[in-house]
Amino acid sequence: MFHVLIIGAGTMGKIHNQAFALMKDVKVVGVVDSNHDNKWMDGQVFSSFEQALETMNQIDVVDICVPTPFHLEYVKKAADAKLNIICEKPLARSVEEGQAIINYCKEKNVKLFVAHVLRFFPEYVQAKALIDSGTIGKIGVARTSRAGSFPQGLNDWYSDYQSSGGVILDMVIHDIDFLRWCFGEVERVYAKGTLGEGYEKLDYALITMRFKNGVIAHLEGSWAHSSFSMKFEFSGLTGVIAYDSAKDKPIELHAHTNDAGLGGVAVPESPLQTNPYYRELRHFLDCLKKEIDPLVSAEDALIAVKIALSAIESIRTSQPKWLD
Amino acid sequence: MRIKVGIVSFAHIHVVSYAEALKRIEGVELVGIMEEDRIRGPKYSEWFETKLFTNINDLLMQDLDAVIVTSENVHHKEHVIASASAGKHVLCEKPISVSIQDAQEMIDICKANQVLLQTAFPVRFNSSIIRAKEMIENGQLGKIIAVKGTNRGQCPGNWFVDVNKSGGGAVLDHTVHVTDILRWILGAEVKTVYAEVDNVFTNNLIDDSGILTMQFANGVFASLDCSWSRNATYPIWGDITLEIIGSKGTLSVDAFNQKLNVYTNKSGYNHSFWGDDMDEQLLRDFINSIQAGKEEASITGEDGLRALEVALAAYESSNDKAVITLKFH
Ligand SMILES: NC(=O)c1ccc[n+]([C@@H]2O[C@H](COP(=O)([O-])OP(=O)(O)OC[C@H]3O[C@@H](n4cnc5c(N)ncnc54)[C@H](O)[C@@H]3O)[C@@H](O)[C@H]2O)c1
Repeated sequence: MFHVLIIGAGTMGKIHNQAFALMKDVKVVGVVDSNHDNKWMDGQVFSSFEQALETMNQIDVVDICVPTPFHLEYVKKAADAKLNIICEKPLARSVEEGQAIINYCKEKNVKLFVAHVLRFFPEYVQAKALIDSGTIGKIGVARTSRAGSFPQGLNDWYSDYQSSGGVILDMVIHDIDFLRWCFGEVERVYAKGTLGEGYEKLDYALITMRFKNGVIAHLEGSWAHSSFSMKFEFSGLTGVIAYDSAKDKPIELHAHTNDAGLGGVAVPESPLQTNPYYRELRHFLDCLKKEIDPLVSAEDALIAVKIALSAIESIRTSQPKWLD
Repeated sequence: MRIKVGIVSFAHIHVVSYAEALKRIEGVELVGIMEEDRIRGPKYSEWFETKLFTNINDLLMQDLDAVIVTSENVHHKEHVIASASAGKHVLCEKPISVSIQDAQEMIDICKANQVLLQTAFPVRFNSSIIRAKEMIENGQLGKIIAVKGTNRGQCPGNWFVDVNKSGGGAVLDHTVHVTDILRWILGAEVKTVYAEVDNVFTNNLIDDSGILTMQFANGVFASLDCSWSRNATYPIWGDITLEIIGSKGTLSVDAFNQKLNVYTNKSGYNHSFWGDDMDEQLLRDFINSIQAGKEEASITGEDGLRALEVALAAYESSNDKAVITLKFH
């Protein structure tokens, strides 16, 4: 039995809790959240990590779902208590902090899993498998897009770019990690973006990356759209693999809001027996159980942070940025 | 006023569509074509029931008002200059030329001879692009922040992949359309260009893939995928898409997405386009400008030159791995 303590009862904490609830060998023992209005787990909400440690006699895994700038603080607390850690992406707000997180976990000899969930989305997994098996030959150009409306977080922390890192560090990092999984290391990156400057509740970025293996990648990140979509397109010597969640929809509800059948919004879904968050968390727990390495390492997560921050630096300097 | 037109060369793939459009426009006569190629010449003069000349001067000696130049890119200069010097208005296929100096010379000589020089940018006549421009001008998107564009296609092969005739591959071929549209829609010039360019999709030694990033003088940034990255059985030959980000909303344009989905045993899945014919509108516009005695074409030689500068800057950027500031600024 895994006894999991979730840190942060916001959007991600809730999604993780729902996934854990489906696992027979997992018990979520509680949630730590500094904000008491924000509770969805009666009686099991703790206002501090220390309070949770004192109250609960068994905790095996700490699952960190607080805003990015607090990841380091909770990693340290969990590692000090010799507890294994799952941490939401991005690993940290800066490379230094990310490195500190990794070093601390090594020092204290606890496992650290970073939730780069795209590696558990079947559409992405399958695209990589097709690429790897040579279905479309050598890849020339890869395109990804991740677009949605401006995220809502507690106290609007996403609007504070010092905290969230904006659309690049928070959203595009998913695609950065996925592309690195497919194509290896990045040589240089060039980007343009708003960096949240001048526009309220809007961020947008266009990034070009050149991989060491020659692949040219183009990434769009948007908190400027009114509905969510994710897309990719790989062009190879002998074919193209493309996916667009806004077009490739297996089920979509259009509920009438009045008798004339007007109004209402379309709600698309992609039903699966187990969702990608379940698959991700299941994998991390299996890694603990079987003492094997995860599909995505903490080092992978740190490099993704490094690339995302390089893109942000490229925007600031208007120059391409080489990764070392 | 009846307008008499000649066509110089059937080298470019767009010319058949232009010639067919000409036939549909009332008051226009296709007087003859110039084609040196011994297969193409007889084929197209017969197809369009018009006279064949194997020398441009023989064509230019005919009673002509205008010439459409659709030769290989490197020959645009000599053909445009010869036509202008003979006092003919010119519609020149894109890219206007392969070098900035050549394009400038073409522009100057057309001006000196008081003939129109129009760059063939048919996408300005695509109805969805026109509608997008309208929406932006109406303020429906608020302030424009960024544009993500694509103009991907299949490798055209032929002389297009011979740099001695084309002057460049996908970047030259496919950068100019979207660059022109962006300049037109945004009413601003490109200030800087960054590009990653490569050769992946063809065995020829020519650029066939590229991602450009442009910074416009009005603060808008844009990216463009100009790659010949569609494989041979891809359902559509080419595309123009624009994802336009504004402070009040976003606008997605897929200019050729007025299509039927056609599935056949013979050729799998294909698109069949049913939207307006932008080539015909381009030619009607050119003919109208002549008839109206306009002093300037609606899409000028300078427009062609500005777009060419961006494509050439993309090569320079990719070579130097650096951001290029356009000299025009
Ligand atoms: N993998 C994904 O798809 C995905 C999606 C969204 C967010 N995230 C990541 O998950 C993390 C959390 O994001 P979210 O959208 O759930 O945020 P959120 O604002 O919805 O929730 C954060 C919660 O943490 C609590 N909190 C804030 N500071 C705290 C502190 N110091 N101590 C204890 N509790 C604190 C808040 O009260 C809130 O309930 C971020 O790192 C984010 O980047 C990942």
